[in-house]
Amino acid sequence: MEIIGPVLVSGITTGALYALATLGLSLVWGSLGMLNMAHGTLLTLGGYAAFTAASQLGLPVPLAVLAAAAVGGVIGALIFMLVAYPLSRRSPETFETTIMIATFGVALTLENAVLRLYGGQPLGQPLSVGGAINLGGFALPWQNLIIMVSAIALMGATALFLTRTKAGRAIRATAQNPDAAKLMGVPVARVYLQVLILSGMLAGVCGVLVSSITQLSPSLGADPMLKAFIMCVVAGLGNLPGAIITSFGLAIVEALVQFLAGARWGFPALLAIVILVLIRRPGGLFGRVEVRRL
Amino acid sequence: MKREDLAHLLIGLVALAAAVALPFYVDSRYVIGQVTLGLFYAIVASQWNLLFGFSGVFSLAQTALFGFGGYATAMLCFYFGLNVWIAMPLAAIATVLFSLVIGAACLRLSGAYTALLTLAVAQVMYLLIVTDTDCFVMVGTQCRQLTGGAVGFARFGDLGTRAMFKAKFLVADYALVVALFAITMVFTWAIIRGPIGLAFRALRDNPGCAMARGISRFQMQLLVFGLSAFFTGLAGGLYAAHFNAIGPGVLSFSQLFFIIAMVVVGGIGRLWGPLVGAIVLVAADEAMREIGEFRSLGLGIIIAAVMVLMPNGLIGLFESIWDRLRRLRSRSPAITAEISGDTPA
Amino acid sequence: MAEPSNAPCLAVNGLVTGYDARNVLTGVSLSLDPGELVTVVGPNGHGKSTLLRAISGLLPVRKGSISLNGRVISGKPAHRVAADGVIHVPQGDLLFAGMSVLENLQMGAYLDSDQAAVARRLDEVFTLLPKLAERRPQIAASLSGGERRMVGIGRGLMMKGSAMLIDEPSLGLAPIIIEQIYEVIARLKASGRTILLVEENPARVADIADRIHLLDNGAFVWSGEPAVLLQRDELLATYLGG
Repeated sequence: MEIIGPVLVSGITTGALYALATLGLSLVWGSLGMLNMAHGTLLTLGGYAAFTAASQLGLPVPLAVLAAAAVGGVIGALIFMLVAYPLSRRSPETFETTIMIATFGVALTLENAVLRLYGGQPLGQPLSVGGAINLGGFALPWQNLIIMVSAIALMGATALFLTRTKAGRAIRATAQNPDAAKLMGVPVARVYLQVLILSGMLAGVCGVLVSSITQLSPSLGADPMLKAFIMCVVAGLGNLPGAIITSFGLAIVEALVQFLAGARWGFPALLAIVILVLIRRPGGLFGRVEVRRL
Repeated sequence: MKREDLAHLLIGLVALAAAVALPFYVDSRYVIGQVTLGLFYAIVASQWNLLFGFSGVFSLAQTALFGFGGYATAMLCFYFGLNVWIAMPLAAIATVLFSLVIGAACLRLSGAYTALLTLAVAQVMYLLIVTDTDCFVMVGTQCRQLTGGAVGFARFGDLGTRAMFKAKFLVADYALVVALFAITMVFTWAIIRGPIGLAFRALRDNPGCAMARGISRFQMQLLVFGLSAFFTGLAGGLYAAHFNAIGPGVLSFSQLFFIIAMVVVGGIGRLWGPLVGAIVLVAADEAMREIGEFRSLGLGIIIAAVMVLMPNGLIGLFESIWDRLRRLRSRSPAITAEISGDTPA
Repeated sequence: MAEPSNAPCLAVNGLVTGYDARNVLTGVSLSLDPGELVTVVGPNGHGKSTLLRAISGLLPVRKGSISLNGRVISGKPAHRVAADGVIHVPQGDLLFAGMSVLENLQMGAYLDSDQAAVARRLDEVFTLLPKLAERRPQIAASLSGGERRMVGIGRGLMMKGSAMLIDEPSLGLAPIIIEQIYEVIARLKASGRTILLVEENPARVADIADRIHLLDNGAFVWSGEPAVLLQRDELLATYLGG
């Protein structure tokens, strides 16, 4: 069966990208109880930031990637300070839905800002690498390998940060019980800011990786974000390891469906799976139904 | 009649009077056309407001249902040769059935889940239409897809207003849309002030007691989901008939944003919120048309800013000013004392 | 000569607070000198937990003031009050359910950057609560009620603080476990800690409390020594159901 190779390559590559996109989203959702509809635009901004750094400013690749992370982090911070925090104080009971609308508006604004600055035509990401490595008669493109390795490395680093450092512990504690965290002296608002910055940085780098195998366009982040949402929902909100496993699993399923039935059936298949899962297990595959609120 | 209903009636009559008077004072076809378009949006927005503001369902499939109604109308006319006037109500019913299927799948869970799933459904619908390349039927030498593909449907049927009113057909169409909007508002008002609205207020104020009385949130939400789909689909059909064309553009996210923005700016959960929001945003959109390219950008900023600064919209702002004026005039000592902890004298 | 060192450890003056438009506490005053264990008892729903939440800053103060060692803490957000030295062991434990026993205790030491001191305090907590030592890597959600209560207290002990607030340590526990918990509390009192304890039943605290306040309908209706309260049958019957 010679489709196993391409399906796995495609599946694992997109799985890695989805997982990275999902990680940031799930972090924010688990900690603040906030569905950040602007998450996709953070990816887009990251991709364009790297593009600007590399091709317009002539900076080397590592700096370009750093620029993407920085832009993502800064925008994430601004979203917290200007939108999420004020909204949580003003109307805490309806926060879950009002924040969706507000970040909707932010996403619209940012996407159009990119459209204004760079134009609507797709651009090539100069940070991608061509060529492939030969694995026993089967070609694995370098770029895919780079994506897989980078994404996994970033996820590993995030995992270490969350489990081994004091700041990471504080983030987890705040997500699980904000009142108790306050009683321990944790400045919960500052922790939320850190979460949004971290999520923004991850999204920014993810955007660079996504644009390296597709193209740079103002709506770059829309599709990954929707997929990331779906991964989060299927896994169970706020469950980070579950979201990552689900990302890889669903990506492989999507690749399989696309190879067998055609590209346009990939997303509908995912949707069907989501609905089926939620009917059987409303909390998600791994989830506890609890969602923390700001 | 309750004071609130009296206010609603008054506002409705004023709005109706203004709408009826408009074509007598304004000759410009462009303005009438834009107002008509704005009213279409207002109808869809009012149903989204019914769903979200009054029933707590955050659905992102509203424009998908609008599009469904439009497409169903066009396809019934195109494939079965039906008259547009018969196709529209049939399409509305089809939209209701479609919405019940979506609702059954998406409504069992809380806000964010519903939002995502309805968004995904809308996205799938759009993608399946736009990426369809199979030739379903040959029209002359042209290949047509089942759902019209990226091109959509055109010239499938007419409201009959062109033949009857000749040059003034635009005003006749405008009148039809005004009539539909009026009927929709009456319908919405009836739901809110009727037993369904009561059930939702009970669910909000005392969920335990409401559920003990046998009120199921899921069933109530599904019911409203289906009911609101009727007028959304009907509006979609009228939209398609009015333009004698429908395409996937009607399913685009920018339409959805516009609808949501209208409700947010006007006031979520306020009966006249969508109309107020529609007036403000269409006017703003016109004003920004001069600036041209910054429309969507401006729209995004408006949505975010209004949400953060005045989450209850313009009507909410007006309500709180009115409240403050009333309190300044009566200055009730008992209430203020309770909150500040003084024992009443 | 009024010295700051003569200031009570914890002082509450005319505290008024509550939820939404209601006031739950309508003017509560109390003070604890260093090393005292003061208990607040009373029927449920009348404000005992509210009192502790107001002191630790989880609930805003509407009228009155609260001070710790002479410095005002009312009006400060909860994490600042914790930094000032108020340790609140809340009702229902409020543990970090997905984290291990060790991580929960480590969170208690969040504000302390001195690794050596933290390690020492961890040892002390494990000595005081040996059951926790056995269960270091265990996830908090899988612990028994009594073990969870001990983690809550241990977590509080990991904090550096001058006043300890404990909210209903016997809630939902079997009598044998309650005895163990109170043994621990007695040892804390003996080691000189200042403790404000909230309980439903005064009988358990009679031996260790210096003073008891009876809270009913948002205010103290009786204050005095525990032994005296236990003899006032009419108070016990009216407010505490015998």
